[in-house]
Amino acid sequence: MSSISELYDVCWEEMRDKLRKWREENYRNSEQIVDVGEELINEHASKLGDDVWIIYEQVMIAALDCSRDDLAWSCLQELKRQFPDSHRVKRLAGMRLEALERYEDANKLYDSILQDDPTNTAARKRKISILQAQGKSSEAIRELNEYLEQFVGDQEAWHELSELYINEHDYAKAAFCLEELMMTNPHNHLYCEQYAEVKYTQGGLENLELARKYFAQALKLNNRNMRALFGLYMSASHIAASPKVSAKVKKDNVKYAAWATSQISRAYQMAGRGKKENKCSVKAVEEMLESMQITMS
Amino acid sequence: MGEVELSCLAYAKMYLHASQFPRCSVNGLLLSSSPAGAAVCITDCVPLLHSHLSLAPITQLALTQVDAWCSQTQQRIVGYYQANACVSDSSPTPCALKIAEKIFEQCNNTVLLMIDGEKMFPSCRVPPIVMYERKDARWALKDKHAIMLRQWEETCSIVNQLFSSGDQTLLVDFDSHLDDITKDWTNQKLNAKIMELISPANGNV
Repeated sequence: MSSISELYDVCWEEMRDKLRKWREENYRNSEQIVDVGEELINEHASKLGDDVWIIYEQVMIAALDCSRDDLAWSCLQELKRQFPDSHRVKRLAGMRLEALERYEDANKLYDSILQDDPTNTAARKRKISILQAQGKSSEAIRELNEYLEQFVGDQEAWHELSELYINEHDYAKAAFCLEELMMTNPHNHLYCEQYAEVKYTQGGLENLELARKYFAQALKLNNRNMRALFGLYMSASHIAASPKVSAKVKKDNVKYAAWATSQISRAYQMAGRGKKENKCSVKAVEEMLESMQITMS
Repeated sequence: MGEVELSCLAYAKMYLHASQFPRCSVNGLLLSSSPAGAAVCITDCVPLLHSHLSLAPITQLALTQVDAWCSQTQQRIVGYYQANACVSDSSPTPCALKIAEKIFEQCNNTVLLMIDGEKMFPSCRVPPIVMYERKDARWALKDKHAIMLRQWEETCSIVNQLFSSGDQTLLVDFDSHLDDITKDWTNQKLNAKIMELISPANGNV
């Protein structure tokens, strides 16, 4: 088995930089992290300086994700040796117990961290993750709500809560969480688009109009967001087809839908250029757009 | 309710889909290119989503597009599959039941298939699937003996080959297609690779 550096012709600095990029952008490409990180640690640990500890942490978490308990254990040992009383390392030990499904032991560890330091958000979040892993969604939701009362600015937690509500089909509460996220991240097109999807799912004319507006906003922030484009098309089409709207509203929405159609067609024409393999998806979209035109008029 | 036959191609793609997103719930549609009859032959599948399964717009979009593609290729939507993120729970979620109901409006013999994550390991002897059928206005477990997976051993070996050659990364679901529309959710390339692996073993699976 050749090494990563041989396979991809990279030096250790490039490997270290790649790991940093993945860390900073929060990628969960665990198999890659394990491949690159394991080699970096085994062959080049001495050259990494103080970076080595954060790399041990990153590789350990990725190793847990890939069921590589051997690698996770050795990383944990290095970290324990270097930082014997650290809460951060204790949390990692807890995560390893979670990976082994030893949830009671993990909870005990997190509780001991919280006894020492009640403001330790990482330990609280891990306890909530355990509830999710055990399928206890309502308890997880309750705990997460309590957490957010104290730590109201935690974006990650708001997003996690919105996901939990979506899974429970509690769309109104999911919308509330996404509203919080949109307020604090007005330039994030993904939150706009997710909010629009939730509104669309709730249904009814008012929600459809809101959905259309937020799909449009998402597109304004990122004009390549295909979900937003399709969402705009579908919400405008449904509004135009509704018997309850005025002639003006119908006319406006027919216009919006037509605009969306032309953008979709253009995007697919460009995507399909020269590529034989996505002819099928292009044709499917064309037919869908045609058939919805018919139902609208 | 008659027999249900699951082809190697459909099984392989479902399995690959669930494996590609181990931390998410995934779902997809089951297709048949055989004419409607007492028995249902699931010949192919289309992997759909790996996020926000219970939100309407993308699901509706996907259903419409797959419908359009099916009429172009003489196939029918005959069922729905889902794999839950929580491995220990393979029961159908409300969202799964809703979509299966929708398909049932058009197809009498709709199959609802849940993938059992706990049985998804290489040396497992039994197919990691649980099937439901519409009986007396509810979804009931289908009799295991009415489910046929021809050449189960070959199917397993083909799936293993796909993993060892790295071809499992070829799988594109509808969600991934929306992230990059140059990707083909009908998976022509992967289908061809799988058919290549099937043909030396047997004439038709």
